[in-house]
Amino acid sequence: MIQHLLHINHVSKHFGGNVAVSDISFSVDEKQIFGLIGPNGAGKTTLFNCISGFYPVTSGDIIFDNKTINNLRPDEVCHLGMARTWQRVKPLGSLTVLENVMIGAFSITNTTREAEEIAMEQLQLVGLTDFSKKSAGSLSIGLKKKLELARVLATHPKMLLLDEICGGLNHTETDTILAIIRDVRYKGATIVFIEHDMKAVTAVCDWIVVLNSGEKLAEGTPEVITRNPDVIAAYLGGGHNA
Amino acid sequence: MKQIILIAVIAGIAALLPFVIGDSPYFIGVLISVLMMAALSSAWNILGGYAGQYSFGHAAYFGSGAYTTMILISKFNFNPLVSMVAGIIVACIIALITGSIVFRLRGHYFGLASIAVAEIVRLSALNFDFTGGAQGILLTDVTLWGLDLNSKIPFYYGMLLVLVLTLGITLYLRTSKTGFYLQAIREDQDAAASLGINLSFYKNKALLISAALTSVLGSLYAVYIRFIDTSAVLDLRLSIEIILTAIIGGVGTLWGPVLGAVLLVPLAEILRSNVIGDALVKHGVVSETSGLGVFLKENLAHAHVLVYGIITVVCILYLPKGILGFFRRVK
Repeated sequence: MIQHLLHINHVSKHFGGNVAVSDISFSVDEKQIFGLIGPNGAGKTTLFNCISGFYPVTSGDIIFDNKTINNLRPDEVCHLGMARTWQRVKPLGSLTVLENVMIGAFSITNTTREAEEIAMEQLQLVGLTDFSKKSAGSLSIGLKKKLELARVLATHPKMLLLDEICGGLNHTETDTILAIIRDVRYKGATIVFIEHDMKAVTAVCDWIVVLNSGEKLAEGTPEVITRNPDVIAAYLGGGHNA
Repeated sequence: MKQIILIAVIAGIAALLPFVIGDSPYFIGVLISVLMMAALSSAWNILGGYAGQYSFGHAAYFGSGAYTTMILISKFNFNPLVSMVAGIIVACIIALITGSIVFRLRGHYFGLASIAVAEIVRLSALNFDFTGGAQGILLTDVTLWGLDLNSKIPFYYGMLLVLVLTLGITLYLRTSKTGFYLQAIREDQDAAASLGINLSFYKNKALLISAALTSVLGSLYAVYIRFIDTSAVLDLRLSIEIILTAIIGGVGTLWGPVLGAVLLVPLAEILRSNVIGDALVKHGVVSETSGLGVFLKENLAHAHVLVYGIITVVCILYLPKGILGFFRRVK
């Protein structure tokens, strides 16, 4: 039987009178690559912030690995095996690339030596080994995105939340990242990712949920979603039949 | 490893210094001030430099140590070491109350709250009876293991010991999980939290270590001077001096605070003891009775605060990473 690893149950998030996320429900299965897409302001990042513990939800439940995680802090969520990246990358600028990844690794080990070993493995996986001694702040955006990925992978997560990990990258870089994502899933992790780039999403996702103005517009396999007229309208503007 | 050797070498040189310069109480006194400021600033640096949480009220922890020790020794005849431990406990309680409330918030709230807490402690000490109020506390006699506590030498080595301890803890933290976590918190709190770091726990941990070390120095200072009042051990000026020493030397570096103290304390001493004014008069540059001579005599002694201010402005403008940070960049 396929297990739901993450279950979003009627989740809403209001900021005062502003409804950012409204009554959203969906489930993510184990080892799935799950896409969360939608136009700007659809509520994708807000939903990520709720899932990863940065925002308390207004109503509804978030169940991860059979535990309700609504009221947990971000660090507690991380220790349960869910790690996230940031749309606007957050490198720990004055530390080296290796030290950045070690900080992720410290969530599963207490010794500096082990943390360094885990970090080096992850750097190798994303191809940043040559940059390990460089300061994280000095990297290009493409390498910073890879660093974000290596850093969360070092926490050995069951589930990865990737917020526009391909944003601002060129085709080659995007392909490298997508290859890493497939590899990570192959090794047993589940991936939820927010993306604008439809090509990237349809290339790797097993299942897609489309958000629009804080509401769920559609869900289904990439083939179904790309043919859905509502989705096309939301992306290209209402009324058109593209 | 290199740093451990460096600490050992510098501590060794410092330990031999009293034999070299003889037992001039004046110079030993200045050296004690240097060691104390170096240790205070290094202790502050664990919280301010590594965790990025600027405390503007470290005098509260220094004063807690000093007052607890003096009250226990003078009124209850406690052993100085036992009262030092009691001082650590008092400082940690104050730190824990402050930290557990304020560290939930981001930004400058901790800095503001640290000033408020330090003022609360200062005003309490000024107004309660058991703290001696505005009169302070005078200690007439103190003994420990038959040491000659009328001499400054035991305190010189005491301060040196605490400085080495503080540097050792800093060095250990830098290479351990806690130190990495503190630096992650300094760089980006959201990123740190998402990587599994319990922000308030680690900030409190840094604050407790820093407060405990600061309190030990307060106890040592109190027994050394044998007289304390609020303006000596709880003043905002002390908190500011601790921060400036770290900023000028180099925040978030192992040796920055030490370098800052080595440069600033003797400088303040020179200005305070009016060496420059006396020299000018002695060499006939200014007449002692002229208007300028009288002005210098009256005001130059207070000029060290002004000089600190000027150096700080220059440092912030041209050496934002402190003197040590500047040399690192050049190298």
